[in-house]
Amino acid sequence: MRTRIKELRAKYNLTQEDLARKCGVRRETIVFLEKGKYNPSLQLAHDVAKALKSKIEEIFLFDD
Amino acid sequence: MKKDLIRLIAIGIVSLIVIATGALWAVSAYMKGDMAGAIGGGAIAAIILVFAIFTFIKGNRDLKEGFPLKDERSRKVIEKASSKAFYVSLYLLLALGFLSDGMIQFRDVSQATGIAVGGMAIIWAVLWAYYNNKEI
Repeated sequence: MRTRIKELRAKYNLTQEDLARKCGVRRETIVFLEKGKYNPSLQLAHDVAKALKSKIEEIFLFDD
Repeated sequence: MKKDLIRLIAIGIVSLIVIATGALWAVSAYMKGDMAGAIGGGAIAAIILVFAIFTFIKGNRDLKEGFPLKDERSRKVIEKASSKAFYVSLYLLLALGFLSDGMIQFRDVSQATGIAVGGMAIIWAVLWAYYNNKEI
């Protein structure tokens, strides 16, 4: 799994800490999400998408 | 946030109880002239003290900065580490049972229990560190 979190964070001028606070998770979780090393729950994927004003499928990319 | 603060205080209280027990064990073993017990108890108390201080400082800083103590990823890491540690611990206990049957001589039941409990704690810590750095 790849993600566009880093790119979208930069677009909206958000730090990892800002995004973590908006999603109610720890900083480490955002770090692992960005690296594609954590498969989030649907709720967290929704929260991240909402914070980054995007759709879930625009952020989390799966190589089929 | 209030729930997290209560959790942090609970971690502190449990850590203090464990440290006090380890220290009491070390002192009573020393008074009986059992140096191995004194070192073991003292080492457990010291290790728990270092982890407790680290956990308390980090947890307090996170709470002040508005981050939760636990989230879905940290819970998943604990769940995975705990379930695997359970199975590995069964093998450890089996191995200790096998070894104690003539291969090694434990001084008494408390020494065997201490090694088993210490081994289980180490297994859990190693598995937690593994899953905390692995893709989950």
